[in-house]
Amino acid sequence: MKLTKTSNKVIDSSLIDKKGSVQKAAGEALSRRQFLRNSTLMAGGAALATTLSPGMMKKAEAVGEAKGSIKRVKTICTHCSVGCGVIAEVENGVWTGQEPALDHPFNKGAHCAKGAAIREHGHGERRLKHPTKLVNGKWKKVSWDQAINEIGDKLLSIRKESGPDSVYWLGSAKHNNEQAYLFRKMAAMWGTNNVDHQARICHSTTVAGVANTWGYGAMTNSYNDIHNSKSILLIGSNPAEAHPVALLHIMKAKEENNAPIIVIDPRFTRTAAHADHFLQIRPGTDVPIIWGMLWHIFKNGWEDKSFIKQRVYGMEEVRQEVAKWDPAEVERVTGVPEQKVKGAAKAMAQNRPGTFIWCMGGTQHTIGNNNTRAYCTFQLALGNMGVAGGGANIFRGHDNVQGATDLGVLANTLPGYYGLKPGSWKHWAGVWDLDYEWVKGQFDTGSYEKKGDKDVHVMNTKGIPVSRWIDGVLEDKKNMGQKDNLRAMIFWGHAPNSQTRGAEMKKAMEKLDMMVIVDPYPTVSAVMSDRKDGVYLLPAATQLETYGSVTASNRSFQWRDKVIEPLFESLPDHTIMYKLAKKLGIADQMFKHIEVKNEEPVIEDVLREINHGMWTIGYTGQSPERLKKQQENWGDFDFTSLKAEGGACDGEFYGLPWPCWGTPEMKHPGTPNLYDGSTSVAAGGLTFRARFGVERNGTNLLAEGFYSAGSEIKDGYPEFKADLLKKLGWWDDLTADEKKAAEGKNWKTDLSGGIQRVAIKHGCAPFGNAKARVNVWTFPDPIPIHREPLYTSRRDLVAKYPTYEDRKSFWRLPTRYGSIQAKDYSKDFPIILTSGRLVEYEGGGDETRSNPWLAELQQDMFVEIHPRDANNAGIRDGNDVWVETPEGSKIKVKAMVTRRVDSGVAFAPFHFGGHFQGKDLRNKYPEGSDPVILGEAVNTAMTYGYDSVTQMQETKCSLCKITKA
Amino acid sequence: MNAMKWSSKNISFFNVKLSLFAYVLITLFALLSFSSTFAAEEKLGNINNTVNQQLGIKSPATDLWRAVRQRKFDGSEGLSSTTQANSLGANELINVKGQEWRNFRMGQLVPYAAYLLVGVLLALVLFRLIRGKIKIKAGRSGKKILRFSPFQRFVHWSVAILFVVLGITGTLLTFGKSGLIPIIGSSAFGTIAGFGKLLHDYLGPVFGIMLLIMLFTFIKGNFANLTDMKWFLKGGGMFGNHASAGRYNGGEKAWFWLAILAGAVIVVSGVILDFPYFNQTRDDLQLSHLVHAVAGIALLAASFGHIFMGTVAMEGAYEAMKTGYCDENWAKEHHDLWYADLQKQGTTASSDADT
Amino acid sequence: MANVKFYCDSERCIECNGCVTACKNENDIPWGINRRRVVTIKDGEPGERSLSVACMHCSDAPCAAVCPVDCFYTTDNGIVLHNKDTCIGCGYCSYACPFGAPQFPESGAFASKGKMDKCTFCAGGPEETGSAEEYKKYGANRLAEGKLPLCAEMCATKALLAGDANIVSDIYRKRVIKRSMSNLASNVGIQKSLLGSSPDLTGKVTK
Repeated sequence: MKLTKTSNKVIDSSLIDKKGSVQKAAGEALSRRQFLRNSTLMAGGAALATTLSPGMMKKAEAVGEAKGSIKRVKTICTHCSVGCGVIAEVENGVWTGQEPALDHPFNKGAHCAKGAAIREHGHGERRLKHPTKLVNGKWKKVSWDQAINEIGDKLLSIRKESGPDSVYWLGSAKHNNEQAYLFRKMAAMWGTNNVDHQARICHSTTVAGVANTWGYGAMTNSYNDIHNSKSILLIGSNPAEAHPVALLHIMKAKEENNAPIIVIDPRFTRTAAHADHFLQIRPGTDVPIIWGMLWHIFKNGWEDKSFIKQRVYGMEEVRQEVAKWDPAEVERVTGVPEQKVKGAAKAMAQNRPGTFIWCMGGTQHTIGNNNTRAYCTFQLALGNMGVAGGGANIFRGHDNVQGATDLGVLANTLPGYYGLKPGSWKHWAGVWDLDYEWVKGQFDTGSYEKKGDKDVHVMNTKGIPVSRWIDGVLEDKKNMGQKDNLRAMIFWGHAPNSQTRGAEMKKAMEKLDMMVIVDPYPTVSAVMSDRKDGVYLLPAATQLETYGSVTASNRSFQWRDKVIEPLFESLPDHTIMYKLAKKLGIADQMFKHIEVKNEEPVIEDVLREINHGMWTIGYTGQSPERLKKQQENWGDFDFTSLKAEGGACDGEFYGLPWPCWGTPEMKHPGTPNLYDGSTSVAAGGLTFRARFGVERNGTNLLAEGFYSAGSEIKDGYPEFKADLLKKLGWWDDLTADEKKAAEGKNWKTDLSGGIQRVAIKHGCAPFGNAKARVNVWTFPDPIPIHREPLYTSRRDLVAKYPTYEDRKSFWRLPTRYGSIQAKDYSKDFPIILTSGRLVEYEGGGDETRSNPWLAELQQDMFVEIHPRDANNAGIRDGNDVWVETPEGSKIKVKAMVTRRVDSGVAFAPFHFGGHFQGKDLRNKYPEGSDPVILGEAVNTAMTYGYDSVTQMQETKCSLCKITKA
Repeated sequence: MNAMKWSSKNISFFNVKLSLFAYVLITLFALLSFSSTFAAEEKLGNINNTVNQQLGIKSPATDLWRAVRQRKFDGSEGLSSTTQANSLGANELINVKGQEWRNFRMGQLVPYAAYLLVGVLLALVLFRLIRGKIKIKAGRSGKKILRFSPFQRFVHWSVAILFVVLGITGTLLTFGKSGLIPIIGSSAFGTIAGFGKLLHDYLGPVFGIMLLIMLFTFIKGNFANLTDMKWFLKGGGMFGNHASAGRYNGGEKAWFWLAILAGAVIVVSGVILDFPYFNQTRDDLQLSHLVHAVAGIALLAASFGHIFMGTVAMEGAYEAMKTGYCDENWAKEHHDLWYADLQKQGTTASSDADT
Repeated sequence: MANVKFYCDSERCIECNGCVTACKNENDIPWGINRRRVVTIKDGEPGERSLSVACMHCSDAPCAAVCPVDCFYTTDNGIVLHNKDTCIGCGYCSYACPFGAPQFPESGAFASKGKMDKCTFCAGGPEETGSAEEYKKYGANRLAEGKLPLCAEMCATKALLAGDANIVSDIYRKRVIKRSMSNLASNVGIQKSLLGSSPDLTGKVTK
């Protein structure tokens, strides 16, 4: 027997005993069947075949067949954005084993509870098994054809009556890149911007805030790059539960660099348990705590003055705002005493480079965009940007939320953040090889809003964000910025319980003409409302039953191979999209250059089309061939730098992290750390993007005296256009064909990639070299300021830190701020309610709560209450309690009395669903598709509140009262 | 977050009951009081931390284990522990009582129980050899007196048979490891023990019910009185001098109450072990097991005496329980007061006994 | 042959339960059986630490000592295994085990607990190596395939170590030294900048 240490071990498949493993599958199937039904383990006996579910039979048969060899399939975990490699062992189409991918550059075989349990997807006992329709309150099995026909007919009739904007296309961060792209394209072909996905309610404020600060709205470095950090600050982020494998990297920095870990959170999280410094803030006081730290940094002169001078615009104005946040005021607002704030500031200042990590604790606020920009400002002040070990390491949520965001499954942009301007549409119409006028003609005629005096075409108007779809249904037509209310919702991989205002959502669902749920699981959407008909459930395959690319949080692409065939009657998303598009009469346009085999669009073709159009963020170099090659050779990439040394991918960074400039033929290695000028652009270096012009009020917005290694322009420069190339005398570096394509275009719209190629050849970043701006003059609060939450317990602070005025039309809808804050709820609802993640579950939890291996570990929805609050309310640990919020909703959950939360704060996880205001909805699920564990969704009780830029929902501070049930 | 252990604080009810029985037991069987100071030495899975100690560098994980081991986990000392595993007691990192239980069972219970049982047997054999069979002095009269009704005999024999089966299966589990496994091997013994455990687990509750019936069936005439005191003082007439006795003599009464009380302890502790779905904790089960074993062994030892007296030791005793009738002379000699009573009531040899 | 051991580095364990589900995955463990679990000390309070616990494969195994039917045996690698055909489900091993390792599939009337089940260090059991019977009764036999227990191989932070006891203790020792060295090398450690905040808060025992 060979025993080696746990890591560094490559598994040799030849060691696997073929015969033994084949029989192992049989053993598994047997104990699976016994599972939950009679819970006897080793009673033995094979007479249980009658209890097989259809899917199990399929597997059992497969096992019984010839003893095939074990196929090892490489794929990527479908849970969070870390992007852990998974090795699946498949025999005769049955997923029989899971091995750690010990040579995967992200996770080295490591998994959290979810990743280690991912093989359960192959069982899929609780899956939605076939197309289902609600008839008179009963679920009825229908055929795919019938379902698609009925849905299509209804959509077309709604379109006729109320226009295309009355159908809402709610996409998913669980799509792979190609499906996300097709979904956005489908919405465009249908003729609406009412398309969005979970990114709206997870990191939209990050994307907006960060992109508006330095150019791109994404994590700047990578999980692996944290190895280089000398200090680590986490705010509103609990990776020990939300991104456990990130801790593998964080621990490395902690142990090897002695990097202090600073956690700023209202809650003593499991991450805080391993931190050196914990700052317990009152929920919603992110700006004050950051400004409070900056106050010490400025006071002591710890800021990086030369960095600021060369690469930052607007720091003086920040200084003035920060000056207001002296230690006393910071303590008054956040509750954190001076010594702790100073200690954290000093630790960050004295241990550079330091990384800054944030998650939804910072983003999900009415001032989320202020928070994210304050974080950026902090890093810019310390000069921590554009260096290995530094950066804004924004941990995204779902496995492909980065990709789906990049591919524009959003109400405010086309793929690649091109926006919705006429030029953007023309660019994409060109990529699609479609007539721009035809695309325009698909939209509603007329105009919903004006820009200046000019009417803005519907096509160029932001749609309703997903956070507000309920208002799109319920709001009075005359207050809305579109022709009619929403009448049909298409939930394509979306958990409604991840959205606030559950009670109103139920009403909205009941008012709709039709709900279509496309998902591997019925989701809470299937059971939440009291509808009797007009609901369709279409079984989608998971990403383990199809293939394609996925973008991890660090912008790395990874190729997933198909592990198993779609279970039951489920189909991959892109196949369903094709069926629907065909029915709606838009398939010919949508799949003009994409081959469709047996109704399944060829994924590689889709990716090539993406490569052909996504110049803005460098989604162009990652061809399917390059990605597949990287997948085969993922063991060649360095654990810290992510760079391949030798091997087939020599010199490339793992996943070709975007921007991977130019065409695939240009062989750009990808950009591991954004804005890092220490290497040339050709080798993955970068500058801050020149996105906001070249000067403002007489101040230069371009970089001063800073340029990336090897740049022939030794100073700041604007973004590259055909004209600039000519001016620089570089035009003739283009080939004849490139010249033809590049004429009159810029680096974003030149479909030949020539402009990018030439800029990079001369060592320049195609998007220019500018300063980052900490004054975002286009936003409601150009310099981030603190504003109290709408439902605040600190009435004494409202006068000084009021929220915004109500807005009449904001993303097509009236949006309330001041009118809510005006009323004092703090007497009746004295406790701040906040929410967050558990390690076992993901998102709305329908998938993970259906996995018994995970569900067993978290069987009750709960609310964490401080012992003081519990005693005051007469509540004991484990009691059933009602949590009631000011808008009248209440949820019945278990009390967990703990000091994790501070007195006056209550925390609840948001993954539960299937109970509604005290009522168990289990019997409303289609038979056999109810998740193992149900519970109240905290968002049923969460209240109103939306970010002033992106309409991000407020889930992190509301008010509640907790009483014994 | 974690693992909400909603029901982990359920110890009280069973613990109280158990401790009560434990006390009763200890007073009853002082003779069995082994030194109950459990060895506190702990041999937990040997975690190798010597290297770190040599270097003088702290090993946090080892320190944590040590801290956990040294403190108790009742929350009162501030070291709480939780887990998301849902079985009862899963939040306990180290089962500190486990080692005590092991030491008691393997180091004390099994050997001392063996000594006791073998000792009692030897003593009885010795007694029989020295004293010889206790004959009916006057010889058999040939006249029969009804001593036990059929129902009484049914109850007695039910309890007796159950007791024997439970005793054998019980001792099998206790001594099989040292006594039988070396001879027949663990596999064969496992089969036997598995069957024995099944019998034991199912017959136990039946024994409990029969014991209760026995209590009501035989309680009349089994209350202690002055005669019994005299009987005991005279050593039960064992040494020649006559000791008067009623329907039951002092020894029989003592046995009766011993069987009832120790039996009750065995039944209650057994039921706790037998129906472990009332959230009994591991500690509850350990204690129950301890009580069950000690009481069981004690009763078993005492039963040897009863069986001895009722069979080979005394002429005329066994037939009373076998047939229901005893010889008139035997009654005169051993239960003179009862016999006198019968005479007074005019019930003679052929009449019904007092049922 | 070398002895194998588990060791959990409490400084790294983040209670993600990856080891627990990895075990369920690899051995197809049913609901209610926890061959491995993570126990957290001082949950939600400063000093919170977690440890992943399963059978520790003790040298002087208490379970084996008290087993009335002698169903336990220790392999050449020091792995404590048991024979489910011999096991009578009496539960004595669970009374004696210091770590709560033995699990029982049932808790029904008449002490019907079923055969005891516990961590096998992914080394199967007495049945023929790699056979279906072995998998059904005891779970995977990764050791026979040259692999280590899946819980340790999949640990999110590599807190849980498994393998040759000498190598495991070597890895852990190096880790502890590395922590101390990096602490020494860092002149501006966080401790100095804490300005009097409680050292408890840091929980950093290595410093």
